[in-house]
Amino acid sequence: MRRIVPLVTSAVFAGTLAMSVQASAAGKPILIGLDTPIQLQVGKDTEAAVKMAVDEINAKGGVLGRKLEYVTADEGTDPQLGVSAINKLTSDDHVDVLIGGYDSGVTLAEEPHIARSKTIWLGVGSASPNITALVGKHYGQYKYIFRVNPLNSALQAKQIVDFAEHVVKGQLHRDKVAILGESAIWVRGLVPVLVKGLEAHGIKVTYQQLFDETMTDFTPLFARVKDSGAQFLLTILSHANSDVFVKQLYEARLPMPYGGIDVKSMTPNFCSRVNGAAVGETTVNFITRAPITDKTIAFWDDFVKINGRAPVYTAPGAYNSVYLYAWAVEKAGTTDADKVIRQLEKADYLGVGGKIKFSKVHDDIDGPGYQNLLFVQWQKDCTRQVVWPKAVATGKVTLPPWVGK
Amino acid sequence: MRARNWVGGAALVGLLAGLPPLLHNQYFTGVFIVCAIDGIWAASWDFFSGLTGRENFGHALFIGGGAYAAAFLNGTFGFNPWLSLPAGVAIAVALGLLVGVPTLRLKGPYFALATLASAAIMQQVAINLWQYTGGTEGIYGLDTLFESSLGFYYFVLAVLGATVLVLGVAARSRWGTILRAIRGDETACQAAGVNVTVHKIASLAVSAAFAGLGGALYAQYQQAVTPNDFDVFVSISVIIMAYVGGIGSIWGAALGGILLNLMLELLRGMGEYRLWVYYLILMVVLFFMRGGVVAPLWRRLSGRGA
Amino acid sequence: MLTVLIYGAVTSAILAMLAVGFTLIFGVARILNLAHGAFYALGAYFAYTFTAILKLPLIVAAALSVALVALFGVAMERVLVRPLRQSSLAVLMITLVVALTTEQALFVAFGSQSKNVPAFVNFPIYLHGVSVDGQRLLALVIAVALIGALWLFIQRTRLGSAILAVSQDPEAAQYMGIPANRIFTIVMGLSAALAGAAGVIAAPFLSVRPTMDQTAMITAFSVVIVGGLGSIPGSILAALVIGYSQTIVAFYLNPEWTGTVSLVAILLTLVLRPSGLMGRAVGA
Repeated sequence: MRRIVPLVTSAVFAGTLAMSVQASAAGKPILIGLDTPIQLQVGKDTEAAVKMAVDEINAKGGVLGRKLEYVTADEGTDPQLGVSAINKLTSDDHVDVLIGGYDSGVTLAEEPHIARSKTIWLGVGSASPNITALVGKHYGQYKYIFRVNPLNSALQAKQIVDFAEHVVKGQLHRDKVAILGESAIWVRGLVPVLVKGLEAHGIKVTYQQLFDETMTDFTPLFARVKDSGAQFLLTILSHANSDVFVKQLYEARLPMPYGGIDVKSMTPNFCSRVNGAAVGETTVNFITRAPITDKTIAFWDDFVKINGRAPVYTAPGAYNSVYLYAWAVEKAGTTDADKVIRQLEKADYLGVGGKIKFSKVHDDIDGPGYQNLLFVQWQKDCTRQVVWPKAVATGKVTLPPWVGK
Repeated sequence: MRARNWVGGAALVGLLAGLPPLLHNQYFTGVFIVCAIDGIWAASWDFFSGLTGRENFGHALFIGGGAYAAAFLNGTFGFNPWLSLPAGVAIAVALGLLVGVPTLRLKGPYFALATLASAAIMQQVAINLWQYTGGTEGIYGLDTLFESSLGFYYFVLAVLGATVLVLGVAARSRWGTILRAIRGDETACQAAGVNVTVHKIASLAVSAAFAGLGGALYAQYQQAVTPNDFDVFVSISVIIMAYVGGIGSIWGAALGGILLNLMLELLRGMGEYRLWVYYLILMVVLFFMRGGVVAPLWRRLSGRGA
Repeated sequence: MLTVLIYGAVTSAILAMLAVGFTLIFGVARILNLAHGAFYALGAYFAYTFTAILKLPLIVAAALSVALVALFGVAMERVLVRPLRQSSLAVLMITLVVALTTEQALFVAFGSQSKNVPAFVNFPIYLHGVSVDGQRLLALVIAVALIGALWLFIQRTRLGSAILAVSQDPEAAQYMGIPANRIFTIVMGLSAALAGAAGVIAAPFLSVRPTMDQTAMITAFSVVIVGGLGSIPGSILAALVIGYSQTIVAFYLNPEWTGTVSLVAILLTLVLRPSGLMGRAVGA
């Protein structure tokens, strides 16, 4: 009797140990790390979109039989917080993949640390071309970096030229534009490309000016835009006070249609937040409630149902990233970074905004069927219509209510 | 120094040195690296402002100056990252003299505002001269000083130790006594034959030197600098650290820097409430412990009285 | 030209409203109230809450907002500042932390997106062919009215004289039977009310976000330094100088540098004439 009890106990113990090792190897969840500014809307929606994707995939059995889980670390808009967020996710939480990003300065500071941790990073919010340029310059070190969203600013410039040629000049018959943008580095890189493209298509740039992102008085700028003889105002805004910009433009009754990049105006409640002053503004969007692909409307409606609000631009990117990563891991049969990278580089995956495919430097590409800028205009009663590209347009561009023909 | 202080100091250094390898977690090591650098900044601030009572609200000018010196030397021109350290010191001292000479004759709130404005102007310059500074994206891709983060940490810890030692000895020397006297009554000092101006400028330069050293170390750890490094928030954080640690104690300020950054990181679990909770805690601390927490607490515990 | 004249006036008006409150509390109580920007932000956010969430009429919302901000200022002074008055650094730090805590509370309560406060006057007004937004003109009128009222109050009433007495010599005033502590609290309330009113009146055409206290503080600093810490007429003069400088730089030079105007003004003043345009002597 005395020998049997310890024997049985050991056997049970060993058996349980063996079983739990088996179980944890098979059942150990795949951990997604989110580095995102959690106090800002873009951060909150990144997290909400990831949660949605994770829940959906887990409901269908997970990835390689394993559940997905995620953990979030605030990166704010401060590189110090960002670097420590990356370190926490990779060295403390030991995540299998990183998803996130918003401020380009923060992302650029984080990159050597991401590279050192040999963890794949899927970007959903920062647009600087410098982020993916590092992949080209030092592939071995930075191959982990992928940008799923948004299009890098050089591609955005190209698409704006396209819009200017076909809509501003073609439909609205205006060939003199003014450019106002915030003085961020990515804008400085974008504007010369934009100007060159516009002039190559016979559109004259009569005035261009950059201003500090904290500026709250745009009236002098509008006066100069008007005096320059411009017929359309192109805007490049991201961190700037778009609400004030739009309100003051409306107050000044600037006598021309306007639009361009205005990240804050991408938010579905923007127009109502400025009391309708934004009616007439055309802004680029990466997604809107329109059948861009047959996944778009389902994604949009599900997001609204779960979160009680419509998604901002980082959300579709984050949602796509989770699905893309899940697909790549299934294909590679492992979460080993090198093998997954090889799959991602071959990807041609249908996301909610278009197909996702990466360039040589791991930048998402544009083109028919792929992710493109949607030019969406705020129209009467703060409704939105996609006015360009023609293939997915839901309405025609109109002039702001105070601008005569 | 009393034996109690030696023992306490040794225990502290032992704890700081032993904790990271024990935790065996690169994230925590990284946190401790930043904590130690914050300690250097806080101690350097304390040496000037804590002793003379002239609150410098623009310490970020020296910190950012050291950081950008490192960024230009190593990032833009590719020099050896170790050269960033003396370069950071040199640039910070230059900035200290540049700002110090015209503003040191100002009293209390005016000096505070002048220093605040200087740092803010430098931040604008860093943003506006984007062709050289990278604007809001800053300069990134700097080399790291040590591949091993533990190695980096021990180096920074050593620099922190040296900083506290040097500044602590200076603070308790005749120089320090003069600075404290200046805080009390500057005219009396002048009448007593002390060259007040030289002492003030010299100590501001020393304060700047160590801040710049910390800034350069920080740049080589982060491997990036941005105009954020000149931000008023950095200056204010340093003051809060020194204040909580105990103004004028040097070592207290350093420990305040370490503890406050640690607390900030540990509060990550609070999600978006992190900063709010942090400031509420600070409000309570600042209200109830006006002389600071760390140094006064040690004095009480070690029997020297409040 | 007329546009610049009018826009400069409006900019200066808002600057003056912010600066006068800040310089007032310094002049009377020697407190550098770093929470002043938070009063401004709270004014705007209270206005938002009362109009957009509670759907109160504009006038009521405005009055209530200003009153609440004044109360907040009084509470802060009474509870947090008064016990620490011996150490000016302690007061500085506590007001700073109040500002930071308020900003974070706004983030958590309202989110990071900017909010819309409806304007009293929604249409442009035409002056000699120049179209100016009605709300801005209203801001100008109200700023002038409020500052004028404050000035009259200080110069013509008994309480005003008490305030002046305390600002010159708190101890002597105390001996004369003036309760200095109570005066400090009252002045903080006035200062907060002015800042809150600036927030309410400017919110419709500026940006209502949790970080709006920061820009307000830097601007208030510059005006107060240039005008002379403690001098109300100085602040008004400096507000005009800086307001018009910013407008001129924006209209005729490079809009990219408008942010630097106030910073350079501070440095120049401190290096050349630290007491400002109308302040007391200040050098060591």
